[in-house]
Amino acid sequence: MGIASITNACAHLQNAARARLGLTSLPNTKYNLRLALAMHRAGLIASVTRGGPRPPPPEALLAAEAEPVTSDNVATRRLWIGLKYWNNEPVMRNVSPVSKPSRLVTAQFDELSRVARGFGVHQLKGLNLGETMFLSTDRGVLEVREALAKKVGGLVLCRVS
Amino acid sequence: MSVARPVARRLVSGRLAAVAGAPCAAPTPTPTPTATTAAPCQQVFAHRFHSSPQLSARRRPRFANVRAADMGLMTEKQIDDFTTEKFPRYTKEELDLLRTKYSPAQIAALEAGEAAINPRDLTVQGRLRNDPYTLPYIDDFAETQPIIDKRAKNKEAPDPSARFMNMDEFTQDLILWADKFPVGDVTGQLKTLVDFVPEDFKTTPEGNWPGEVREAAHKAFQLYLESEVGRQNKGKDVDDVEGGPTDADILQYILERSAMTDDNRTTDTSLAHALPSKVPGVAGKYKQAIDPEDQGLDDLGVYQDVKRRTGLSVAELLKVQTKQLVIRTVSNQTRLGKVRKVSAIYCAGNGNGWLGIGEAKSTEFSIALNKARLMAMQSMKPIRRYENRTIYGTVESKISGTIVRMSARPPGFGLRVSHRIFEMCRAAGITDLAASIPRSRNPMNTVKAAYKALLTQPDPEEIAMGRGKKLVDVRKVYYGGAVY
Repeated sequence: MGIASITNACAHLQNAARARLGLTSLPNTKYNLRLALAMHRAGLIASVTRGGPRPPPPEALLAAEAEPVTSDNVATRRLWIGLKYWNNEPVMRNVSPVSKPSRLVTAQFDELSRVARGFGVHQLKGLNLGETMFLSTDRGVLEVREALAKKVGGLVLCRVS
Repeated sequence: MSVARPVARRLVSGRLAAVAGAPCAAPTPTPTPTATTAAPCQQVFAHRFHSSPQLSARRRPRFANVRAADMGLMTEKQIDDFTTEKFPRYTKEELDLLRTKYSPAQIAALEAGEAAINPRDLTVQGRLRNDPYTLPYIDDFAETQPIIDKRAKNKEAPDPSARFMNMDEFTQDLILWADKFPVGDVTGQLKTLVDFVPEDFKTTPEGNWPGEVREAAHKAFQLYLESEVGRQNKGKDVDDVEGGPTDADILQYILERSAMTDDNRTTDTSLAHALPSKVPGVAGKYKQAIDPEDQGLDDLGVYQDVKRRTGLSVAELLKVQTKQLVIRTVSNQTRLGKVRKVSAIYCAGNGNGWLGIGEAKSTEFSIALNKARLMAMQSMKPIRRYENRTIYGTVESKISGTIVRMSARPPGFGLRVSHRIFEMCRAAGITDLAASIPRSRNPMNTVKAAYKALLTQPDPEEIAMGRGKKLVDVRKVYYGGAVY
């Protein structure tokens, strides 16, 4: 599925946040997991837990993985994402995918540095106040400022604000 | 030449005319035989080239004029007679009468005016006006014409110190009025209240009498009046008194007699006297519409409601900048027709981060404006400003089909925005801003969307708290924060 699962995840997270859900789930893919972990590092989501088809109990959200993934249960695994809210507003209000399967958008390091400073480059608009961007690089899925710190560019996945 | 006037006939008439006008004619040589040359004084009473028959004599007016000499106005004596008859000087009696009416200064002015014009000039040079601005009638305005003129107001002004009579004054006034109607065998005047008090109090006014003396006097006076009435009506029918007041007199008393202490003075005005500034029983009980805290800034009470709702003083409210942004006419279609109103939108701001929008409708133009202005003042809210000059980031807001997109800009950029947003920014104290209205530019929605955009700016502090991250404005980090 590749990038398609990312675009689906973006749409789902935005819908879930606007519906004021506390816990939602994504398909258990490596790409989704890396994006979710990057979002968690950026402070956009509260928790990332791999679980079954039923949501894990609250105490399990912060605990270590309860059940190991085996070939038996791998098809039923989901990534359970805890959403964050502040002042009655979702922390992650807008999640919009940038790359899609029919058009992949990449940004090199120098382009990325301009975008991060608020200037548009090619089809990428500059980042606004409070806006962030996630990229798939050869160092994994990174937030734009992590990528800049590591001096890498890559495939632009989504913008979040 | 006219065919109807043969040459011979023309020659004859011209010759005759020349003879008739001989005294004034210049000495001419022998009449020229040709028809075309006419003598200088030759009078022809018709146009030469005309088909109508010639007049035999000069046309005379139907009514003869009368010469001044025939009217006897040409000799000095006649002129003097006419002058003394028509323009006489004031007699001594008339002057005395005038002195009763006019002040000495006015009399002096009158006399100077009289001395300035010689009556003889009026006779000799006086003309009736015939210029275009002449009045359509001849008048020296000495008399009042009720059809043309307003009613003369020559009565005295109302007595400013008059008040309503108290009981004693009223009784006195009634007795005065009743004395006009001699009834029965009463001779002399009726007794008054003063006649019923001891000698010591006869000279003091009634207010200074002791209570018991006063009561006794009133009681005795009442008894006296009743006995008088009984005595005078003895053996008579009360309604049929000879010489007594008629029903008309009583009606006149009720309707026309003044109830105030102004000696029944009649005036030209039917208006009542204004109430005195401090009515004794009500003094201090008036509700003061004007707040003394306002220091007279709001005598009409225009800002009282806004003051109460905003907590700002009138002086502060008067410093608020307001601007009319939108004005339009709206109408409500009813079965009776369209009900048209004026709708206005105002913005108000203190120039330091507060902005309000007020919308109001009224059938009256000025009322709508005033209401909208006050509503704008009342709805002022704080606007978040970055460095007190621009906004935070880029904000976009949508009202109906109108989208307003605003972006923060560096210092010195200015307000590159449309005129309504410019006024709002000026009121709010924003000096650097870019704005675009990519879709509909409806004035009302533009204003509303811009206001909404200004109110929905992102707050970096909130974002940092929500994400649990530390956000730093790098503008404040480089160059030691000396960015201005």
